[in-house]
Amino acid sequence: MPIHNINNKPEPTDPGNYALLNGREPDWERIKDAGIVGVPPREVIARLNRQQATIHDLDEPLVRADSPAAELLPQVYCAILRTVAANALQLELDAIFIDTGAGKCDGARYTARILAETLTIPVIACDNRDTTPQGNPLCRSDLPLPEKMRRITAGVKIAGSSASEPAPCPPRAGFWGVPPRDFSMLELFPGQTHVYGWTRCLENKTPADHELESYFNPSVPTVFFAQNFCPKTALARFLAVRHPRALYLDADMQCGGSARAKIQAFFELSGVEL
Amino acid sequence: MILGDFGTSYSKILDLDPDLPETRPRIVATRELPDDFRVDLATGHNARRFGRAQVNELTALARGGETLIEQRDFLLLDCGSRDTKFVCYRDGKLADMGWNAECGASMGFTIELLERYYQLDCHTMPIPKRSFPVTCGVLGLSEIFDAVVSGLSEAEAVARLIRGIARNAYRFAGEPEKIFLSGGLCEHPVFVGSFPCPVVPLGRFVLLEGLRRVANQGRTSAPPRPPNRPPNKS
Repeated sequence: MPIHNINNKPEPTDPGNYALLNGREPDWERIKDAGIVGVPPREVIARLNRQQATIHDLDEPLVRADSPAAELLPQVYCAILRTVAANALQLELDAIFIDTGAGKCDGARYTARILAETLTIPVIACDNRDTTPQGNPLCRSDLPLPEKMRRITAGVKIAGSSASEPAPCPPRAGFWGVPPRDFSMLELFPGQTHVYGWTRCLENKTPADHELESYFNPSVPTVFFAQNFCPKTALARFLAVRHPRALYLDADMQCGGSARAKIQAFFELSGVEL
Repeated sequence: MILGDFGTSYSKILDLDPDLPETRPRIVATRELPDDFRVDLATGHNARRFGRAQVNELTALARGGETLIEQRDFLLLDCGSRDTKFVCYRDGKLADMGWNAECGASMGFTIELLERYYQLDCHTMPIPKRSFPVTCGVLGLSEIFDAVVSGLSEAEAVARLIRGIARNAYRFAGEPEKIFLSGGLCEHPVFVGSFPCPVVPLGRFVLLEGLRRVANQGRTSAPPRPPNRPPNKS
């Protein structure tokens, strides 16, 4: 199926950054429920915010994980994208906006193509090239890690920055990586865990900032996390080798017993009190 | 105080009561333990079932290594019935760790099963010069059956699988220059002799030594922190 560039629409404004994957153009005024994957450009989120559309972050588990809809993708595949497929097929959506650029992954590009072939709603591939940094107050805050991650991921639905900034704290530990499919693993991290990697790019609203993604703090024990079958496992492993006190970790749909034990033992043996 | 390392196949139990004449650990098949059996401090896959308090297996392994290995740089590999785990220390500090618990099909349990099935004695089996590629325990078993059908002796076929398992464990541990080995397979000459590097067998009570150290320090692994607990400000 050919990719049609949007070049005759007043919004979005950068014609090179969008593509309709199934030829169905979105009727912006009628979009009440929009699905997003990754971090679509701010102008897309801003427009959806302006017309008070409900934004569903399809990267998060919103429907049953074992849904047959997820079988659109192979079983041995990124858990996040399998979650996207299950959400996309079961939720009542008016359009889906998927970042398929350098801020996401090849898997998202193929998933977008498959969803476009399967769904009757517009599926719009975006290439988020936003470079204006919005800061990382949540990543460096003293919030417990699960709450920190919840706020950061919720921020993807808002074009602006958070109105209130939590207090910063010095780091005692680090989490590097993407928001995990299974947030329960985050409960194993000590207080004052700072967040690095793509999650930092997410809060900064610059998902394709690979320099920021590669940054880590060598002075604190850090878990370098990536989802199984995600290309980011290569970067996570590469950086973990260079960090003096690192644990490389990958997990699939659920954070299993061995992964949990590794996190727990890593901090205990690194001398970090939980 | 009674300590227990409750593995999938075997449990190792040590009573620290100073009045007891016998202070050596005893080994019991886990399936033979009564359901109401309890120890004070436990580790292993069945720790929650039999222990009033539990210590993470990797922590117990690491603490055991700190106690038994008088070196600041070491790699300690534990090969059990269903999994492999290792800790690596550099300059006296934890540098790396790993736990392959997702597919234990080709670990100690498989070896024990095959030796019983073919009625082999590991002490009389030769150390093979070749391995079967072992990416999966089930496929490994198929390799053995095919090899036996094509004329290889049962002992040689099983030994090649064991060598493949040892080489897998070696790669999993990061291909170290020297390995300190923990677990029941320390007593298996074919397994120990199949590593391409020097191996120092420490026996099957390394985790118990780790438990003893933790008990002496008065610390057990805390359960996962509740999500809403206030952060530690220290």
